[in-house]
Amino acid sequence: MATRSVEAVIVGSGAAGSLIAAKLSQAGRQVLILEAGPERSASSLISSQIWARRLKWAGPPIETGGKDPLSVGFGSGWGTGGAAVHHYACWFRLHPEDFEMQSRFGKGLDWPMSYADLRPYYDQVQREVGIAGDAAQEVWRPDGEPYPMPPLPLFSQGRLIARGFEKLGLRTSPLPMAINSVPYNGRPACIFDGWCDAGCPINALVNPLVVYLPQARRAGAEIVHNSAVTRVLTSPNGDRATGVEYFDAQGRRQVVDARVVILAAYAFEIPRILLNSRNGGLANSSGTLGRYMMAHTTSNIYGLFKEETENHLGMTGGQLLSQESYAKTPAKGYVASSQWLIGNALKPNDLLGIGNTRPDLFGEPLHAFLRTAAHHLATMTFVGEGLPDPDNRLVLTEKKDRHGFGLARVTHQFGPDGLKCWAAGIAEGKAVFQASGAYEVWAGGRAQMHTLGGAIMGMSPRTSVTNSYGQTHDVPNLFLAGSSLFPTAGAVNPTFTLSALALRSAQQILRSWPSLSI
Amino acid sequence: MNDEPHHRDTPSAGKTRREFFVEGGGLVVFALSAGCGELTPKQARERGVAFKVLNEKEGRALEALGDTLLPGAAAAGITHYVDHQLASATPLLILKYMDYPASFLDFYKQGLAALDRLAHARYGRVFSEISAAQRTDLVREISQNVPAEWSGPPAPLFYFVTRNDAVDVFYGTQEGFAKLDIPYMPHIAPKEPW
Repeated sequence: MATRSVEAVIVGSGAAGSLIAAKLSQAGRQVLILEAGPERSASSLISSQIWARRLKWAGPPIETGGKDPLSVGFGSGWGTGGAAVHHYACWFRLHPEDFEMQSRFGKGLDWPMSYADLRPYYDQVQREVGIAGDAAQEVWRPDGEPYPMPPLPLFSQGRLIARGFEKLGLRTSPLPMAINSVPYNGRPACIFDGWCDAGCPINALVNPLVVYLPQARRAGAEIVHNSAVTRVLTSPNGDRATGVEYFDAQGRRQVVDARVVILAAYAFEIPRILLNSRNGGLANSSGTLGRYMMAHTTSNIYGLFKEETENHLGMTGGQLLSQESYAKTPAKGYVASSQWLIGNALKPNDLLGIGNTRPDLFGEPLHAFLRTAAHHLATMTFVGEGLPDPDNRLVLTEKKDRHGFGLARVTHQFGPDGLKCWAAGIAEGKAVFQASGAYEVWAGGRAQMHTLGGAIMGMSPRTSVTNSYGQTHDVPNLFLAGSSLFPTAGAVNPTFTLSALALRSAQQILRSWPSLSI
Repeated sequence: MNDEPHHRDTPSAGKTRREFFVEGGGLVVFALSAGCGELTPKQARERGVAFKVLNEKEGRALEALGDTLLPGAAAAGITHYVDHQLASATPLLILKYMDYPASFLDFYKQGLAALDRLAHARYGRVFSEISAAQRTDLVREISQNVPAEWSGPPAPLFYFVTRNDAVDVFYGTQEGFAKLDIPYMPHIAPKEPW
């Protein structure tokens, strides 16, 4: 066993970990990042849906169960930059009501902060990474600085679907995306070839490889790959983190001593590491560690048009946005938000590919459908809120990983509000496509996207794992980062919010460094 | 896997894309070899390359299933593609996205055995030896239900996964995109051999 000492050790090199690494190292702190997966660079991002599967989780298996099992493989990351390397860069702010669900509606949970508290961090991250959009046209958008880049262009399927929204009196706006519409901060503009899902090697799409990890490295941060962190190590009474234990590429046990420990790992791994760190779970005096695992409901609406839809062009995340149904209005019969991501670029194969839009077809009818759909299919993606439920939970099983630590099992099911919201959304989506002139309209099955919760933040140490800075209530020099912290899910893709939270955490760590690093 | 730098133009991208790569920091186009020699799945099949983990009976069943799911998938090399991926430490099969809790190799071996048993129970012959119409009937059945005679991974999941393998190998390549008359437009082109 080897031991080394650093000032701060960060577990995970994804969106949150890389941002915190950059800020701490730029402030002169000695930072080591431990990444479970292999090293990746822009040249690793091959334009192929098949090759892109290398970018997904290949760590310890995670059992999923319950009525609506969470998805582990598809949205995960494996290697430098984590899941953000292949994310779709749909960057939204949560709405003020998402932070106050319990107070306003008597459902879900409250965050230990308001939108106003987080807004400056959204603004700063937005300036640093660059977002393309139209703040004026995005009428549902919470207060914030205008986007620094004009919106990305529309292609045929976006225009066709927008026609349906307009006929129903529903508004759309350009989709806010962390993708360059014009050169920004030394990075080039997007060329709209729809390979976002396989990773963007030209650096037009923001990911850790192109913004915060280079900044961190330039400031002296070190990253060690193939390092599987198994436990946070603590003082005997468990009230102070002393570092982490990990196993290197050769399977050798290593220890890093650190004054501050930051877990910014995969959302399933943060609770697993903490549960393995101490009997009953480290930083778990509240008993909420592993609870409140959440996801968004999702389905796609599909339509065939007689016009060419150009679905091979654009961005995987879409072209347009509609949040007309975002407001949590109890009069709807449920309390949950939703939005539409309109006009997703498509490829023939893979889980979200054209072939799977009609999974019932096989044989010659599948060929015929693909030949038609490659030119005439349009789609939009529903994102719906799943509410926090303590029984949606990650626990350790009797099974062990190859180093002898407990594996995770997660059970999850959506509650009635989330399901009603989804059903209303699908009905609305079909109506939009019919109004837009599609000659055939159908909806895909319900699925789950984004993994949230499991180590939530809150005001009280009795009901949450961390405070608003991701600082664990029980262990002051142990911080958590990423979507695990979210007490509610909202109905927006989480990367912008988890980045803003990470920035806020980093500033707090630096402010309180003297007391943390005793 | 080996990463082999491979300077190459991207014909579908045209001048703008070439200029972009030059102006955008001199990105070289990489290609990969995943170890099926230097052969594509189609070439491996044509040359009769021996399977690594599947046996001949399983290979015949998967070829017949592939062509039932998507005619031409057998000639495109679905069996060599699946066999090669299953022999890899990090298979790139769509099964990776299904959060399947057990061995990938067992998933295919048990699924193909179940398919042969089902065909035999219904028609007295293994799947590769029954008629095209009979294969279509069985595939339609497993796409929706778990037949009483089925013993293996869930039949609809086996259908979904192998159907995706067929689409991957037939349409998930530059050649496949061309068959649909859509441009591939790679930033970094995948090498054709798997």
